[in-house]
Amino acid sequence: MANKRFDVTHVPGAATIAIVTFLALYIPVLILVVNAFNGSDTAGWWEGLSLRWFAAALDNAAFRSAALNSVIVALAAALLSTCLATAAALAVTRGRQIKGQGSIAVILNQPLLVPEIVFAIALMVVLAQVKQVTGYQGLGYLIAAHTTFCIPFAFLPIRARLSGMDLTLETASMDLYAGRFYTFRRVTLPLLLPGILAGFMLAFVISLDNVVVSSLVKSPGQETLPTYLMGELRRNLTSEIYAISALLLFASISIVAASWVITRTKQ
Amino acid sequence: MPRNPTAAANESAVMRAETRRRWSLALPALTVITLCSILPLGVMVAYSFMEAGQYGNVQWGFSLEGWRAVFLDRDFFDDSYIPATAHLTILARSILLALATTALTFVFGIPTAWFIATRPPATRAYWMFLITVPFWTNLLVRTIAIQEVIRADGTLNRLLLATGLIDEPLQMMFTNGAVLVGMTYVYLPLMVLPVYAAIEKFDFRLAEAAYDLHASRLYCLRRVVLPLMWPGIVAGSILVFIPALGAYVTPRLMGGGRAMMWGNLIDLQFGQGRNWPLGAALSITLTLVVVGAMVWYARRAAKGAETNG
Amino acid sequence: MLDIRSLSKKFGSGDSAFQALKSIDITIEEGEFFTLLGPSGCGKTTLLRLIAGFEQPSGGQLVLDGKDIATTPPNHRPVNTVFQSYALFPHMTVAQNVAFGLEARGTNPAEVAPRVDEILGIVQMAHLRDRKSSQMSGGQQQRVALARALAPRPRILLLDEPLSALDLKLRKQMQFELKRLQRELGLTFIFVTHDQDEALTMSDRIAVMDGGTLQQVADPRTLYDHPANRFVAEFIGEANFLSGTVAGGKLSLIGQAPVPLPRGADASGPVTVMIRPEQVVIGAAGGDAITADGRIEALVFSGTDTHVTLRLQNGDTLSLRAPNNSHATTTFAEGEPLRVSLPIGALRLLPEDVADAA
Repeated sequence: MANKRFDVTHVPGAATIAIVTFLALYIPVLILVVNAFNGSDTAGWWEGLSLRWFAAALDNAAFRSAALNSVIVALAAALLSTCLATAAALAVTRGRQIKGQGSIAVILNQPLLVPEIVFAIALMVVLAQVKQVTGYQGLGYLIAAHTTFCIPFAFLPIRARLSGMDLTLETASMDLYAGRFYTFRRVTLPLLLPGILAGFMLAFVISLDNVVVSSLVKSPGQETLPTYLMGELRRNLTSEIYAISALLLFASISIVAASWVITRTKQ
Repeated sequence: MPRNPTAAANESAVMRAETRRRWSLALPALTVITLCSILPLGVMVAYSFMEAGQYGNVQWGFSLEGWRAVFLDRDFFDDSYIPATAHLTILARSILLALATTALTFVFGIPTAWFIATRPPATRAYWMFLITVPFWTNLLVRTIAIQEVIRADGTLNRLLLATGLIDEPLQMMFTNGAVLVGMTYVYLPLMVLPVYAAIEKFDFRLAEAAYDLHASRLYCLRRVVLPLMWPGIVAGSILVFIPALGAYVTPRLMGGGRAMMWGNLIDLQFGQGRNWPLGAALSITLTLVVVGAMVWYARRAAKGAETNG
Repeated sequence: MLDIRSLSKKFGSGDSAFQALKSIDITIEEGEFFTLLGPSGCGKTTLLRLIAGFEQPSGGQLVLDGKDIATTPPNHRPVNTVFQSYALFPHMTVAQNVAFGLEARGTNPAEVAPRVDEILGIVQMAHLRDRKSSQMSGGQQQRVALARALAPRPRILLLDEPLSALDLKLRKQMQFELKRLQRELGLTFIFVTHDQDEALTMSDRIAVMDGGTLQQVADPRTLYDHPANRFVAEFIGEANFLSGTVAGGKLSLIGQAPVPLPRGADASGPVTVMIRPEQVVIGAAGGDAITADGRIEALVFSGTDTHVTLRLQNGDTLSLRAPNNSHATTTFAEGEPLRVSLPIGALRLLPEDVADAA
């Protein structure tokens, strides 16, 4: 310390705990990935690098249909919730305060206020009746449920972007003879796009990750990737489960990396 | 500014049109949420005041039995009321585990956030990336990862057996400790992110000023750094406590039937031949606790914003 | 009282190393208002941070009251700082901010409140003692920062460009008050600024710095009248620089007949001669002076006087001031001839500066 700067940011021990934390966060994940690439029949005994469990998973029709369902639901829910959230954000962020503006914001965030298990069970109870009445058993229920809890997540970045935007830009556009729709298309929307993109990605990931709502709302025989994993886990921990987990992990990492690269190149 | 009545009327007409237009923009989102979230929650409230059906479900008819069952059981022999020990134990355990999870994420998360926020700006982004990846990774996958480490024939046990530290595998799964480890593991990023944001905003010249005014490291931390980080810490604690209290997946995988939590108890009541009104009452209670915590936080945050300008 | 002995500071190492201070020697006296003046990057703030203890020197000593404090951490030094950004604790009231240093040092709680009241009275902030710092104007924050630094009774008060964030009028007023406060308390102030006016009006002594080295340490009058080199002459006030030659004890300047050297000057060969614009006399001066003719190139009216730029017959240009107290200046016009005199007593011979020759 004799010839060092007196560093106000230095707190003894913080770095040690931080490194321990990072190791604790990543070692289990690394073990999981290693297990996924293990060629052995029984999980736990290392028998060399192999892709056999990935092949087994891809070969498995149940896995394939679950993966397809997951992607369909996530894409549909992300798309729907982003559209709805964009319209809602425009309603509550731009221009003068309108009557009931506060209650709109509260309702939009309501799904975040309810514990996930409660939301899922309540929806399950209601949808059981709907299923009985209509006889429809398709993916629509999952899409509706996911859209609902994705709205507040999509709303968050879109509203943040909107409230940081200069309102006079729209006034300027109107001043230059642009109509309301033309202004939205040429001024508001392009400026809002990064927020919408962020909202879409957030909604997509949130939907893709969901276990609780999906497993309670899905119709019999229907699976998404997480519910399929949950079902398999109930039987036994197999290397195939690790392979599927690793696939989901790579999907998350690539999405984060993509959004990271996008935001960094923008700056 | 003098106004004539027609201008005022004109303006209020414009305002009404604006209000109508903007409400209609929000309407689709509001409809979806009302139908798929608010209405089902209303149904749950109604169910909690109905009679239990013979084979699950509910029967029409007002009853407080569901709410009674949250707190009191009928004695098997003399039909008198006794505390519903089984439920109440689970509820108490849930609250304690959620608090312990918050405390553990605090212990590990705050130094981590401090460490990241005090890296040079060039490398800070990479450390943040390392925290956001787990945040975005499937909760189920992360639970599987931590389960693999501590289960009976998992990595940790095999490592300990191989080094001869133990002779037979430690049974760590399906205990409160396992649930606590699992929840701390999965919710840790939720603590780090808001605290990091608070530290990043902190003006380190204030710490310099404190040292200049004869403060020791600890005194500076207590009187200057912590108070200014406090909003971030409270936000992180709320972000961890709320999902931890209602956790379902992690306690189910790590705790099984032996270390059940509130969310698993609710799920159990909606199985075949179970008590739906009780499940509904448990759901509403959990929701009220969570909303209460959020309202408390929002009040605090509003007050903090007021006093700190 | 404070002896700065061959103090140096290097940031970084290897190729990216930056020598912020190169062997500084200053002795600061008890009760002195001492100013570190220089352009940004000259090392004045680094020197202040070394004295405060936020940086550790790469070499040299910092002797306060006979004790080397160069490696003492800032919280154990009997000096306090008024920061450029004020750095008031935003979550504390005015009184809590002022009490901070006393409490941190473990002052008897019974003594804290009276001292806070006393010091708030001195800076005239007693009526705002329960305000949060975010609810105050810049000038008020400045006073609180001052009170906070004074409360623990430092041996030296360090002020890091404390007035730079204030508007001109408030700055003038605070300059006056700071000076008065320093006199009344009899406290040693080390004041950092890049504003030469501020330095001249407030300081007992000024150290002019550039590129991590001391250029001159002197009282304001000496600094202005007898600058040690071209940098100091240029940085403080305005100056005309003329090239001349000395031969046989006589100075030839602006193409006029050689005159005797000013008293005390000694040189031979080519020299740089400095004269302040206000020393240039309009018309023929009596006594020892060089008189020359030129044409007015530019006129700028500036209230009390008119700034004249004159092109002399030998090609040199000269700036001068014509006071607006006579009708003479109204008759001035660009392109008109004008006769001026340079009194020999106002001429300063500067050493040839290697850096400026380039």
